[in-house]
Amino acid sequence: MNNTAQKHDATPLVAESYYAAVTDALRTEAARLLSEGVVTAVIGYKEGRRHGTAGPAIVVDPARANELIFSAACVNNLALYLTKAKKGVAGTGKIAIVAKGCDLRALAGLMAESQIRREDLHIIGVACAGVFGSGADRREPLSAGNLAGKCRECSVGAPEGADIVIGTLPPLPELSPVEAEELARLEAMTPAERWAFWKENFARCIRCFACRQVCPFCYCEQCLCDRNRPQAVETTPRPAGNMAWHIVRAMHLAGRCAGCAECERACPMDIPLNLLNRKMARELKELYGHEAGLTPVEKGPLVIYREDDDQSFIK
Amino acid sequence: MKHDFEPKIVAFVCTWCTYAGADLAGTSRMQYPANVRVLKFPCTGRIDPVFILKAFQKGADGVLVSGCHPGDCHYMAGNFHARRRFAAFRKLLEFVGVDLARLEFSWVSAAEGGKWVEVVTDLTERIRTMGPLAEFKELETEEHWSGRLETAELKEAYNNI
Repeated sequence: MNNTAQKHDATPLVAESYYAAVTDALRTEAARLLSEGVVTAVIGYKEGRRHGTAGPAIVVDPARANELIFSAACVNNLALYLTKAKKGVAGTGKIAIVAKGCDLRALAGLMAESQIRREDLHIIGVACAGVFGSGADRREPLSAGNLAGKCRECSVGAPEGADIVIGTLPPLPELSPVEAEELARLEAMTPAERWAFWKENFARCIRCFACRQVCPFCYCEQCLCDRNRPQAVETTPRPAGNMAWHIVRAMHLAGRCAGCAECERACPMDIPLNLLNRKMARELKELYGHEAGLTPVEKGPLVIYREDDDQSFIK
Repeated sequence: MKHDFEPKIVAFVCTWCTYAGADLAGTSRMQYPANVRVLKFPCTGRIDPVFILKAFQKGADGVLVSGCHPGDCHYMAGNFHARRRFAAFRKLLEFVGVDLARLEFSWVSAAEGGKWVEVVTDLTERIRTMGPLAEFKELETEEHWSGRLETAELKEAYNNI
């Protein structure tokens, strides 16, 4: 990349003062909710130990609401903390959760699948200009150059349907959709080339299951892929089992995935997992007109059927 | 007639329609290739995409999934659900790079012994011309390490032991 491009890419998308203002409003709102007893806990982000990082935080004391922050480093999808990561959070009273647009989609999906109830939640939506991609230098401000891939084609910057929305985004530049371009590149390949592409990517997989653990929709008590007798998917990190695992994962998320790309972010081997999710989302939109949105849809596309569904592929 | 290559075909069939249809083909003494291995399921809705994957991994050259015609399901809607699931699964397999010509879906009722013969014969002949499915078999025998074992640094370290 030449210098001009870098200079252009490094233009901050939003001013630092935007995050400061959002953080202030967030703290005020969290303190109010906790002290008034509206909620028992606020799930949000706090500053990480390294400069420019942030991690999930659960605040129960109004005095500690000033630990909460919002910045471009708030990458996590906190919806995870309402299901498996913090089992038992649900049922302890109303919970407030900080949600970016993409997280809100995951929340809507979880509500649709009866994993959480809207009345148990107080959703603090934040208008988000995007988050850092992997490997971004956190000392620099968020720019088109260090933005996460999923954020380049985000359509839910300002969330809707939340109890309160914090922040108003300045107009953001239109960015080239990197993931859609990569998807188009793969689709243009021959099957053999695609097989080679995925074989190489899946071969790197070490089966740490970070993609499963971080996914808000992988909430099964027992995963099919952990079972033996009968063993559906080989558990050792060999190419055969890796291929099966990733196909099964994509299939189980088809029509459910909210597109938060946490799987790809959590992957230590940099496998482009969100490409699979995006592909399935697009196919299900084409086939059945389903799209993951901000309002809960009671039944996903693979749970319902129509008598006149396409069956041109069946003899 | 002798052939150079006899493909292995795994058929996942529903017990109420296609299995009975295959049975009818047998009792009617219709001839069809013996390449097909039939696995009986209660319903096409019970056939998990993982079964298809496993069949390919364990050496099938082709897979056939067959059940009741829409509206004839013994469990009312099993095949409707299966239809959507397999439509999605096909797209996924295609995206990963599997040749969809090796995967066949069909509706064969209990009265359609002839259709069963036709479906199995067509699929067998098609796979025969395509040859064995190499991709999954290669994958099955492969070992792969996340790091490369033959790098200069590792070799040097190994030689210094």
